[in-house]
Order: sequence, then structure tokens, then C-alpha cells
Amino acid sequence: MGERVICPRCGANLFSRRPNFVHRGAALTLAAVFFFILANAFPFLSLKADYRESDMLLAGSVSGLEGQGFPVLAGMVGVFMLVVPAMVLAAQLYVLLPLLREQRLPWARHICRALHEVRRWSMVQVFLLAVLVSFLKLEKLATLTLGTSFWAFVGLIACMAAALAAIDQRELWEKLEAAQP
Amino acid sequence: MTFDPASAAARGLARCHSCGHVESVQQLRCPRCQSPLHLRKPASLQRTIALTISAALLYLPANLLPVLQVQSALKGSSQNTILGGVAQFWEDGDYPVALIIFVASVMIPILKFVAITALCVGASSGRWPGGMTRLFRVTDYIGRWSMVDVFVVAILVGVVQLGSVMSITPGGGALAFAGVVVLMMIAAHSFDPRLIWDAAARASERAADGSRKKVDRKYRD
Repeated sequence: MGERVICPRCGANLFSRRPNFVHRGAALTLAAVFFFILANAFPFLSLKADYRESDMLLAGSVSGLEGQGFPVLAGMVGVFMLVVPAMVLAAQLYVLLPLLREQRLPWARHICRALHEVRRWSMVQVFLLAVLVSFLKLEKLATLTLGTSFWAFVGLIACMAAALAAIDQRELWEKLEAAQP
Repeated sequence: MTFDPASAAARGLARCHSCGHVESVQQLRCPRCQSPLHLRKPASLQRTIALTISAALLYLPANLLPVLQVQSALKGSSQNTILGGVAQFWEDGDYPVALIIFVASVMIPILKFVAITALCVGASSGRWPGGMTRLFRVTDYIGRWSMVDVFVVAILVGVVQLGSVMSITPGGGALAFAGVVVLMMIAAHSFDPRLIWDAAARASERAADGSRKKVDRKYRD
């Protein structure tokens, strides 16, 4: 889709033109926000063993660590799988929605720069792999069911990846510069 | 610092790290996004090496301390280090899981140590610049996947609240390992792959100088 410019020395992608990237990016980000809310509102994993049943929310993986006396580790996990993705989504909406009408809100350029720095610390895909590993590990000990939140989380990852693929950083900056403050 | 005469850096043009805008480096800050402009990432090699050494030191407790302690009424209590966990999955016949954890927690960190060392050597020798740049891109991308083990611990601790039957508590190894992953990610990000191309340009210039001298000597003799 579109055209791209690559570095003649090392072959890295320098610039690509993607038609309608603002609309595409904004739509995918809105869908991702919807999935993010669902993923946090419903139980993630349910575990049944010996007539006892426990449901875990997505945030349970953070509060569990904190409860066991590992606040730093809990903070790291929380930042990588909840805080950073939420910040990325919020920043994308803040920048992209006004761009639909060729406008930019105050501090949009600072937020766009922060978005670039913060994005590498979003580890939702890695978390999904970890869920699958834990599922296989616990399967023998108890009856496990994946909750609504798990499927919303899969949707969140798909939408975030698609939004990232839809937006070219340099084209976004060009649009942002041309937009009315 | 000397640059390839064909490069933008030789003309004093810097590409903004953040938004990709190209501007004279004398501007100090990018006019578009206000981030500081540099021809190359500042103190790139020093930072990368320092962070890699810290990560290597932290890698010892990450592997020696347990990442997980399981206490169950039936089987008693057991502790697992990272390698112990891999071995246990393998013994239980969970080959795919054993493989995922082994690749993410053992192979990727070790390969990343090797790759960053190779990149630092490459940034001073300037050999195989194309391959080195590809190596950098892969290294920068795969680092985060090592976090899998830490997330697995978080999920297990969160979901297993069976009280009297079984309890799972995290170990210090998990914290140390998370530290290794974070330090290695910052180390890879501090590395500037253009240093490899600068070194390659210097190396080819030196080679050209050398052959010119040889030709001169030939004519003199």
C-alpha cells in the first residue's frame, strides 16, 4: 500500500506514503481504546480447582505481585502492559482526532514526540505470549477458562499493531506541522 | 570525529532522533519537535557498553536466584530458577513451552550480549557495515520478548489464589531478570548504527591512502 523510500546504505524504511493514514489510524486507535476498556472490565482467566473458583482481572497480575511484596516488579509489569499502552492510545487520539479536521491541539507536538519515545515500552504482544505459556503450565493443575477480557486483549493487540502500521512517523509530522494550531 | 564526505553529517546536517526532520546541527534543537539535535547519539558507545556491563552483572543473580516458589500441600515446596523452569517443562513433556521459555529467557539475552559486543567492535573497525546494521535492527527488536518469563510469573502469582492447596510466590530472580531486560533494551537503544558506517568510511579511506602510498613507493624504486 502506498509508496516508500528506503535507505540506499542499509535498506531501512525512511518514508512511506500511506493514503488516508489519519482516518485509518484514528479509526484503529478508537477500536483499540474500546478493546482496552473491555479487556480491563471483564475477568481475564478463570480457574477452577477443588470446588473453588477464582477469577483474575488483567490488573490482577500486577496486584498479585504487589501483594507478595514485590512492588518494583509489580510496577514494571503494570507500566509495560497497562500504563504505556494506555498512554500510547491516549496520545494517538489526542494527535489524530484533531488532524481529521487539519487542526492540532496545544502541546500536540510534544505529545507526538513523547509517543515516539514511549512506544517501545509497550509490551502487550509479549504479555499475550506469557498468557499462553501460563495457560499451558496451569492446565494440568486446574480447569482454566479464558475470559472475555482475553479475547478483547487479542483485539487490542491487533488494532494497536494495525494502527502503528497505518501511520508513518514522518508523514504524521508533516501533517502536524501543516495543521492549524 | 570524521565522517564520510558523502554523508549529511559531513555537511553539518543532523536528522532529528524523534521526528526525522533534517536541520543544521547548529540549531541545537529541532525546530519542529523541540528535541535536542545531534549528528550522532551523544556518548553512544560509552552508554551502550556501560549499560551492557551492568546488565551482565545483573544477569548472575537473575539466573542464580529463584524466579518462582511453589508451595503445595501435596508436593511440598519447590523453587525454580530460570534454567530449572526450562528443565522442568522439558521433563514434563511440555516441549513447546520449554522451547519458548528457553529462547526468550536464555538464548535472546545471551545472543543480545554477543550482538552488542559485535556491534561495538563493528563501530570501531567498520567491517561488514550492511550485516552489522541488520544485526542492530534485529537486536533492537527482539529484546522485549525476554520479558515473557517475568509476565508468566506475574500471571501465575495473580491467578493462583488457592490458599491451602497451593500458593505461588515470586522470587528475587524475576526482579533481577526484569532489570536485565530493561537495561539491555536501553543499551540497544543508546547505540547509534550510523557509527558503523562512519567507521567503514574511515576504513576505506585508510585503505585508499595505503594503496596510494604503495603506488608512490613503487614509482620511487
